[in-house]
Amino acid sequence: MAEELMKKEEIDEMDELLEDDSPKGMFMTFQVGKELFGISISYVNEIIAMQPIAAIPEVDDYIKGLINLRGKIIPVIDVRVRFKMEPCEYTDRTCIIVIDVKSTMIGLIVERLADVDTIAEDNIAPPPSLGRKEHEHNKYVYGLARTKDTVTLLLDPEKLIRQDDIVTAMEEVRKEEQS
Amino acid sequence: MAEEFNTESMLDMFLYESGQLLEKLEGIILEKQDADCFDDADINEIFRVMHTIKGSSGVLMYENITKVTHKLEDVFYYLRESHPDDVPHMELVEKVLAVSDFVTGELDKLKNGDTPDGDEKQLVEDLDEFLGRLKGEIKKQGIEMPQANRHVEPTQFYITPVAGDDSHFYRISIHYRSDTQMSNLRAYSATYALKEVAEDLLYTPDDILSNEASADVIVAEGFHMLLQTKSSKEEVIALIDSSEAEEINFDELSKEEYGRALGEFGREEAEPVAAAPADSKDEKNKEAKKEGPKPGDYVVKTKEAGKGKTLAKNQPKQQSIISVNVEKMDALMDLIGELVIAEAVVLQNPDLKVPGLELSNFQKASGQLSKITTELQEVIMSMRMMPLTNTFQKMRRIVFDVSRKLGKDIELEVVGENTEVDKNIIEHITDPLMHLVRNSVDHGIEEDAADRTAVGKPAKGKITLEAKNEGGKVYISVKDDGKGLNKDKLYQKALEKGLIENKPINEFTDKEIFRFITLPGFSTKEEVTEYSGRGVGMDVVVKNIQSISGRLDISSVEFEGSEMTLVIPLTLAIINGIVVQVGNSPFVIETASIKEFVRVGEDSLISEPSGEEYIVLRGECYPFIRLNERYDLPDSNDKIEEGIIVVLEHEGSQVCVLIDKLLQEQEIVVKPIPPYVRKVKGLSGCTQLGDGSIALILDIAGLLMHDGERR
Amino acid sequence: MKILLAEDDFASRKFMDKQLSRYGECDVMVDGEEAVDAFMMALEDGEPYDLACLDVMMPVMDGYQVLKAIRDIEAQKGIPKSKRVKVIMTTALNDERNVKMAFELGCEAYAGKPIDVEKFEKVLTKLGLI
Repeated sequence: MAEELMKKEEIDEMDELLEDDSPKGMFMTFQVGKELFGISISYVNEIIAMQPIAAIPEVDDYIKGLINLRGKIIPVIDVRVRFKMEPCEYTDRTCIIVIDVKSTMIGLIVERLADVDTIAEDNIAPPPSLGRKEHEHNKYVYGLARTKDTVTLLLDPEKLIRQDDIVTAMEEVRKEEQS
Repeated sequence: MAEEFNTESMLDMFLYESGQLLEKLEGIILEKQDADCFDDADINEIFRVMHTIKGSSGVLMYENITKVTHKLEDVFYYLRESHPDDVPHMELVEKVLAVSDFVTGELDKLKNGDTPDGDEKQLVEDLDEFLGRLKGEIKKQGIEMPQANRHVEPTQFYITPVAGDDSHFYRISIHYRSDTQMSNLRAYSATYALKEVAEDLLYTPDDILSNEASADVIVAEGFHMLLQTKSSKEEVIALIDSSEAEEINFDELSKEEYGRALGEFGREEAEPVAAAPADSKDEKNKEAKKEGPKPGDYVVKTKEAGKGKTLAKNQPKQQSIISVNVEKMDALMDLIGELVIAEAVVLQNPDLKVPGLELSNFQKASGQLSKITTELQEVIMSMRMMPLTNTFQKMRRIVFDVSRKLGKDIELEVVGENTEVDKNIIEHITDPLMHLVRNSVDHGIEEDAADRTAVGKPAKGKITLEAKNEGGKVYISVKDDGKGLNKDKLYQKALEKGLIENKPINEFTDKEIFRFITLPGFSTKEEVTEYSGRGVGMDVVVKNIQSISGRLDISSVEFEGSEMTLVIPLTLAIINGIVVQVGNSPFVIETASIKEFVRVGEDSLISEPSGEEYIVLRGECYPFIRLNERYDLPDSNDKIEEGIIVVLEHEGSQVCVLIDKLLQEQEIVVKPIPPYVRKVKGLSGCTQLGDGSIALILDIAGLLMHDGERR
Repeated sequence: MKILLAEDDFASRKFMDKQLSRYGECDVMVDGEEAVDAFMMALEDGEPYDLACLDVMMPVMDGYQVLKAIRDIEAQKGIPKSKRVKVIMTTALNDERNVKMAFELGCEAYAGKPIDVEKFEKVLTKLGLI
């Protein structure tokens, strides 16, 4: 119970941070698996605690379903599954980051929030382009940020939510039509 | 600029009126396209339309529109004054349409906030040349030349404000520390700083300078501002002095939300007399709106000024019809949707389920409430109904254009254009309908008239566009008396393209074969023509129609013609539904498609070796779908005798669906599944239930189709 | 050319003053009553204004009242239409009814705020002022 309360406070605190002006270079960082990810705060609408999700049948496994956010119905995706990692149980640290990418509202389920950090542009390096296939999420990562002792992978939300597979499928249909 | 939300701006009015006039114009032209000439009434009307648009575009200084309409007005002036014979009618029709297209194009630019910069030169030259010939003709016929059409240059001009589309709307709330001295002056300095960038600024409390007590109010309740500006959030934040502020809340609003918020601020104004200038302006506006403006309505802080004299010309007109901004209608619609949900939240509140509560008064009151919300829905629905007249008008134009380009002689008959449909639906059917009409002209009617006469049909092709309203559905059909669909050809094509299973043609019903043309990647024409091709196929038509829960019916007899019928619901937004549960998930089924609920035993179930299942009810055999298996839902009941069978009917075909239990019947506000989620067959949308949870709405047509494909 | 500018809002006043001063001498008034006074004074001195730019929402008298007063005075003095001062209303009240009323009261142009400077200049040309 105590832990739950604490966690609620944490979320509120993070949420409050968002209310403030969000200058460039501010990133919301969160943990997925062993790694730390960052997403530019300009995309982040709010952070909410885990809540009941209405599952939708026959969709990609990383789309967990729909949530009701004060009357707005928005889809949520599990970032872990999106990165092709083994799904894990949701705990009371799990929360949903609601992002707004080009007017599309989407919730990201993340294992736990880390912090809101300012990352100077100088500290951002392009991701290594070694053909390491195991790093499936590399295509969503546009930069690496080094802080004191950690490395944060900076995510491009537009790529993260894009359904590449669907895009290609559509293109195939179109090609077929043209031929 | 509060008035933007409440009255139509000058520009909106111009766009609206000109749009209406042009529609009327096209109506006349297309109706008389086959006549030999326009009659006097038409000529007068066209002259008047051009004259009006010329005049108002002149006032607003859209010179290219003025020039073009001016020229066409001249043409019709000569026609009106001299009544010449032998006017090349077809050419004249084309000229008028060309002008109409040009002006429509420019109006569209204006609607999008662009500058109307279309080049009118070529068009004006063409019209000049035409007019020259016309005058020659008049002379030749020995008719006295009328005096040149005298144009009065506009002497009054309206300068449209710089487009405000890039304006941002913010709600800013500043909470000062409780020990802040003279917070009203701090608030003033905030408003002062913002005035530099503000296009509109409202704040509350509004008497910050004149009333020292306002300082206490500000400390206690915060200082709230509504700001319209072109500046970005960052720029605005930089302007506000935040030194004593404990907290600054900053919300960006949509224009709509801003409009609503304005009302809030208006109501909170305590004393309009003492109001700060920005506020009193708004207050005055509101008064003015009720009666129509008069000089003197806009005096700020009256000292001694007498009220202006009433102007006879500005007496409020008795009007039985008003035009309402569509955005406002949509907002009202949304609000009523929210109201229906809120009502459900109240009436199904778990607090009421405490045993032993005396609820008879509550129930009486809630019954009354439900009655009112239902009536409210009916009223808003009827307000949103629009006749299909304009949509059909567009189709006339398409038939005209395409048939002329293809050199086909086609007559268009329109039936039931006054049929009314929900405005949203009209928006969704225009493109599909256009496609169907183009298809009929292009592929339906024979290329060669001789092919028609050979089978005993008149040489002139005929397309019938019909709309009717039956049993809560609207039927819109496009019928042609052309060559019809060749089943063998369709079958061969579908087989070649690998779109269907390899089984003999006689195993498909006619309807199924016709439906091949709606499969993605199917096109019987080797070359995509300019008119029906455009990269979209019938599959797109079907998809569009399905997105509004409609369907496409195809029937055809070879050599006699084809008929494509769109069947669409009258309205989209609110349906009567029954909420059911399967596993942990609630689903909604539209009440109208439920035939019955039954409980049956294992003995009514027939399982085929292929895994397909059927239910026998009173000797009839129905296909059977277990929703839990179809959608892979955990924790649900597998035993048929413990669940409930819902018999669903759609277009004469029936299907039985197994569910766990019934929850309740209620009005459902249909919301689309966010487009990010790929369309799932058998689901048409989602809704919010009384307890805030989300239920998916079953789409019976999709369920049946899915079932058919699986087989 | 002689210009009368009536505008109560400081920022707009500065902006308009700057714009108009390019075309001639610009007298700046802060309320409607002053504007009518200035108009009368200039008329009596035999140096009438060529152009009057009137804000609508002003203290004491609003722009429509000023416009009406100006036209009434001109009519009373028997000033022919061609010699009348050219009046441009400048306001954020852009709804059609207000614009129509202003036209009926006899203004030459009606400029919605924020003012489109380019078009404004065009109108001055059309009115034969520059």
